[in-house]
Amino acid sequence: MSSQRVIDGRDMQPPEPLEKALEALDTLPPDGELVLLLYCQPHPLYQILRRNGYVWTETMQSDGTNEIHIRKAASA
Amino acid sequence: MHPNLSFEQAPPIWVPYRFFLTAPLFGIATGLLLAWSGPEALASRWTPAALALTHLMVAGFMLQAMCGALLQFIPVAAGGNIWRPTLVAGVVHPMLAVGAALLAGGFLAGPGPWFAVGAGLIVTALSIYVVVVGIALFRAPARGATILALRVAIAALVVTYVLGFTLAQGLRGVGGIPLLEFTHVHAAWGLGGWALLLLSGVSYYVVPMFQLTPAYPAWLGRLLPWTLLTALLLWATQLTGEARAWHSWVLLAGLLAAGLFALVTLRLQAQRRRRVPDVTLTFFRIGMASLLVIVLAIALITVPPAPTFLPVREWAVPIGILTFVGLFVSVITGMLYKIVPFLNWLHLQRLGGLTVFPPNMRDMIRERAMVWQMRLHLAALAALLGAATWPPLTAIAGLLFAASCAWLEWNLLGGVRVYRTFRDRIRAVDACHAP
Repeated sequence: MSSQRVIDGRDMQPPEPLEKALEALDTLPPDGELVLLLYCQPHPLYQILRRNGYVWTETMQSDGTNEIHIRKAASA
Repeated sequence: MHPNLSFEQAPPIWVPYRFFLTAPLFGIATGLLLAWSGPEALASRWTPAALALTHLMVAGFMLQAMCGALLQFIPVAAGGNIWRPTLVAGVVHPMLAVGAALLAGGFLAGPGPWFAVGAGLIVTALSIYVVVVGIALFRAPARGATILALRVAIAALVVTYVLGFTLAQGLRGVGGIPLLEFTHVHAAWGLGGWALLLLSGVSYYVVPMFQLTPAYPAWLGRLLPWTLLTALLLWATQLTGEARAWHSWVLLAGLLAAGLFALVTLRLQAQRRRRVPDVTLTFFRIGMASLLVIVLAIALITVPPAPTFLPVREWAVPIGILTFVGLFVSVITGMLYKIVPFLNWLHLQRLGGLTVFPPNMRDMIRERAMVWQMRLHLAALAALLGAATWPPLTAIAGLLFAASCAWLEWNLLGGVRVYRTFRDRIRAVDACHAP
């Protein structure tokens, strides 16, 4: 069973959500998933993910929350 | 949902930093000049020293910080593509710096040839800047309140420097322009158009993002630029004749719009989601409170029937101090304290990838150093306002302001040192891993 870690970055000041997401990715197991909750589309994070072989999907919630699911490309 | 940032097109870090690091130097020069000039400097806003001090602030401190910020902000926040930012900054930055210094010197020594050279340098630099930034802004894919505010702000900058250059020619005895009316219109377009609209456009982005407040209401984003633009255009009609009574009502309309921006900002800040002490937030509150006092004071002294206990002449200097130091230096300093650590972090992150993590944002510039610098800034503001009514305080007020700007420079340099240290560390790690 793959592990999931959730970071709620909605009340964090930039770039704290990014800092926490990168720390979490560093220790994420190969089949793990990181869920990031934000009020924006974090383009700088997307660039980092693209460069480092991660894939992600995003879902916009009705309250404006962007729910981003991140995994290693190989296990996607 | 909050606005999104894109760093694909961000300029090299030294593009905004060269402007940011120059701005406080003009603040230091302003404070030292005030201390050296003594009480006569603030006797009226028309003394040579007062004009020199004003232009060290607007064409030095404010213009440097604002031009640098926009070169970073347009690509990142609006997706606009700035043409060769390193080259543009390399040309515009020194021309503006030398131009502002010569202009201030010209006001002190009399409008001689160097004064004309200073005005010419500023106009040339700003013309280059406006073309490059204007094209980027008008081609930018982003829409909404920020982009509208920035476009009107850039147009207002053009009007400001064209009028300023005309005034400079008038002071040198060229043509027969009405200097008083030109000065009123020049100042209104510069402060109420360029500076205030730029501040509002950037605030729509950075206040919700960094201070975790709700978004600005959409109506404010439409109302503010159009009201200010209409008021400024009507205000400019005094160039064709003399100021009339209805110009006071035009001024009041512009002031009310500005006051509304301050009130909305303060209300949003009161609704912020994370209530932790933040130096940028406090700087913003000082700025917005200053703006409200400025609006109230100008409304009281200009809109008939003006009460006799508020003579215009005596109030012009305190209003100027509140505008430059209370409002603009406060919000610019607050923004620099957020932007510099943020840019450091992002650029270091891009360099280090997932191998070397940049230091925490809070370690870029120490909170304690920023808080104490802010206290000194407040003391300088209080002393400057005191000096406007009790002239013996002038030298101390000038030295306090110079010291607060020197401390700001030191804090920013500290941020740059952290950037350099970690950049070198990342390069060393990269060199170790190179095949």
